[in-house]
Amino acid sequence: MFKPGGGSSEEKVVVFNLRDQVYGIDIDSVLEIIRMESVTSVPGTREFIEGVINLRGKVIPIMDLSKRLNMPPCRVSESSRVIIVEAGGVTVGMIVDSVSEVLRIPVSAIQPPPAMIAESSVKAINGIALVDERLVILIDPGKVLYEEERDELAKIGV
Amino acid sequence: MFSDVEMVVFMEELEEKIQSINDNVLLLEKYGGSPEVIQEIFRAAHTIKGSSAVMGFEKMAGLTHEIENIFDRLRQGTMQVNTFLVDILFEALDKLKMLKDEITRGADDVQVENILLKLRSIQAAGGAEVPAGREADGGAGLVLSTETPDQLDDVVMATVREAEVRGFQAFWVFVAIDSGCQMKNVRAFLIFETLQQTGEIIHSNPPAEEIQDGKYDQGFSLVFITKEDMGQVKNLLMSIAEVNTVEIVQLDSREVNGFQEESDEDGREEAKNDGVQRAAAGGADKTTIKTVRVDVQKLDTLMNLVSELVIDRTRLDRFVDVFESKYGSDDLVENIVEISNHLGQITTDLQDEIMKARMLPVATVFNRLPRMVRDIAQKLGKEIDFVVEGKETELDRNVIEVIGDPLIHLIRNAIDHGIESPEERRRLGKPGKGRVVLKASYVESHIVITLTDDGRGMELEKIKKKALERGVVRPDVLARMSEREAMDLIFMPGFSTAEEVSDVSGRGVGMDIVKSQIEQINGTVEYSSEVGRGTIFQIKLPLTLVIIRALMVGMGDQVYAFPLSNVMETLAIKESDIKIIRHSEVIVVRGSVLPLLRLANLFQIDSERGNGKLYVVVLGSGNRRVGVVVDRLIGEQEIVIKSLGRYLGQMTGLSGATILGDGRVALIIDAKGIVKDAGKEELAYAN
Repeated sequence: MFKPGGGSSEEKVVVFNLRDQVYGIDIDSVLEIIRMESVTSVPGTREFIEGVINLRGKVIPIMDLSKRLNMPPCRVSESSRVIIVEAGGVTVGMIVDSVSEVLRIPVSAIQPPPAMIAESSVKAINGIALVDERLVILIDPGKVLYEEERDELAKIGV
Repeated sequence: MFSDVEMVVFMEELEEKIQSINDNVLLLEKYGGSPEVIQEIFRAAHTIKGSSAVMGFEKMAGLTHEIENIFDRLRQGTMQVNTFLVDILFEALDKLKMLKDEITRGADDVQVENILLKLRSIQAAGGAEVPAGREADGGAGLVLSTETPDQLDDVVMATVREAEVRGFQAFWVFVAIDSGCQMKNVRAFLIFETLQQTGEIIHSNPPAEEIQDGKYDQGFSLVFITKEDMGQVKNLLMSIAEVNTVEIVQLDSREVNGFQEESDEDGREEAKNDGVQRAAAGGADKTTIKTVRVDVQKLDTLMNLVSELVIDRTRLDRFVDVFESKYGSDDLVENIVEISNHLGQITTDLQDEIMKARMLPVATVFNRLPRMVRDIAQKLGKEIDFVVEGKETELDRNVIEVIGDPLIHLIRNAIDHGIESPEERRRLGKPGKGRVVLKASYVESHIVITLTDDGRGMELEKIKKKALERGVVRPDVLARMSEREAMDLIFMPGFSTAEEVSDVSGRGVGMDIVKSQIEQINGTVEYSSEVGRGTIFQIKLPLTLVIIRALMVGMGDQVYAFPLSNVMETLAIKESDIKIIRHSEVIVVRGSVLPLLRLANLFQIDSERGNGKLYVVVLGSGNRRVGVVVDRLIGEQEIVIKSLGRYLGQMTGLSGATILGDGRVALIIDAKGIVKDAGKEELAYAN
């Protein structure tokens, strides 16, 4: 859930498009947004990891957010962008179809995800906001990076 | 004797270790003594003891020795943790901090006798509460004097030398007077009178006038020159009423001398043997050391930024070319060319400077050693000719920080276990002086440090016996071991061949730590030993932990880097050269079979199978070889190692990544791991 931070009743969210749907991610976790560049694939990693890129001398893993959310792989185009997010001490890039804007969303407009989604395997979604008649699906950066691992660990009984 | 740099390194290490002891004693108090916590404090104390003794800070060495003793007992379970012990430990820790400040101030006014007494009595009582020592701070110790024989200064030693030439013997004498003595001045007078009948007192501490006025604590020390022997001197002194203890050490000017000649090679001003004086000579004012301790990570970040600058500059260059061809030699164009060139110069300089900031000459470690060698040799009654070569060799500072400890252990072992006593050596037809050579040199992209001694060498049977005694290995396992494997037992935890606990070596903080510390920084420890001839230890270290030479290869459109240290050779082969043995592909190279591994299969990536021509990179680790099939060879290059980060998790076959000149990322192959895994597969098929 998005917590109303510092008494403000608004959330600042980076809004992006992925497979014709509108998503948002808390701007505090976004380090920067870059163009798609050449990705070096890394063998033996999880299926949604696209590879690594060079971000000013640092090697950063890149994930295909579309695959991560159990959708078909992304289609890279001119408008594709990589949103570099930081959560839980790691920096990871997420490939999205395009980035449109930064929105201020009143906390009152944010609703918990429908039960069906909340219980599905995709736990990375932590809210849905209705803004100007548009539905924005809010992604939790911490969960998008780590939730699945926790699930996997739970499965094997750790 | 010790430069500012060395002092800084010493002080930094000291700070770190004191902090570590502090943190761990707090844990000890909170959660009781877990083996890890006890081991941590023990090691920290051990390190401070070693380095402070080397630097000549005797009080600190003494104090940490006692702390170490306590933790050794805790470790062995002959003592338990209780609040009383923790209190005393904190007191000792405070004292340690005071001693550190004392060094910074260049003073010598901190008394440690009282705390030493407490530490000793709590050991004697096995951790039980004891009356809080003698409270008279400032010299309650019975056999402790403010000066020890090896703190005597040059003037005294010069007199001793002269006396020796004239056929006299020199003794360092410590006399302790009964604590209830009412007439300390009279006793002192008597002692002086008695001794002067048979010889000459050339030095005393405190000064003679003060002693004769009774201004001393429990006792005082003298340097006495006489033709009598040690026993007679002792008898004379013990015959005086209220004399409690007499301690006599024969002084030998030659050993002290040998050491001084060694260190004079530096051309630096030889400080007095007194530790504090040395500290004062090392730098006029310790409080204004003009260095900043920088996190290496910050240097890494700087390095990253500079590499980015380099890439941008390359792009700018290209842009300048376009500009030139488009507008010719316009003024503006020339300006841009100039700016671009200047930028290039600056980025190169910047890169060099940052690299240099990470490097230090090994002298920072090596210079601390001769003194230590001398002290150990003297303690053990051995004669050592210690030779240091290649001090100027430069190493990454992370590496420097780690090698000090292992080197000290190795040298101690060499003197303690390797070099025989002078008598034994002469009997064996060797020169009486044992020779220990420490040498650093560059070998390809590595630095190799060798420590050679001409001592007795390592005896296999002795090692086996010890290993069994210490329970390091089970008898049935030992029986199956090859000679080499049995020798390698010296690297097992808990193995230590010292007969008794001395403060020189032998507590089981031994070769296992040496090995793990070296391996931590990607180094290797190798040795060879010949009974009766001596032992050679060879430590091979990477010059820096960030830059390696690598062989770049191409697979499809991607580039991979093989660390050159593991590349034996490269071969060009035809598909038809490959044979199949037990489901595995192999080729025959110069008569021997080389197992093959296709990088494309290992990483499940596409390969450009085309003209039937293949390239094989032969990797070697230990005595194993594996050929890795790749699409094409690109060439050798220096690469900066970058971590792949923890998010991707553990990946087989990869050890990191690097950034290529064009800004793309190339993966670094974990050559050692691949060779090891290939070995396992072979074994599985063999079974």
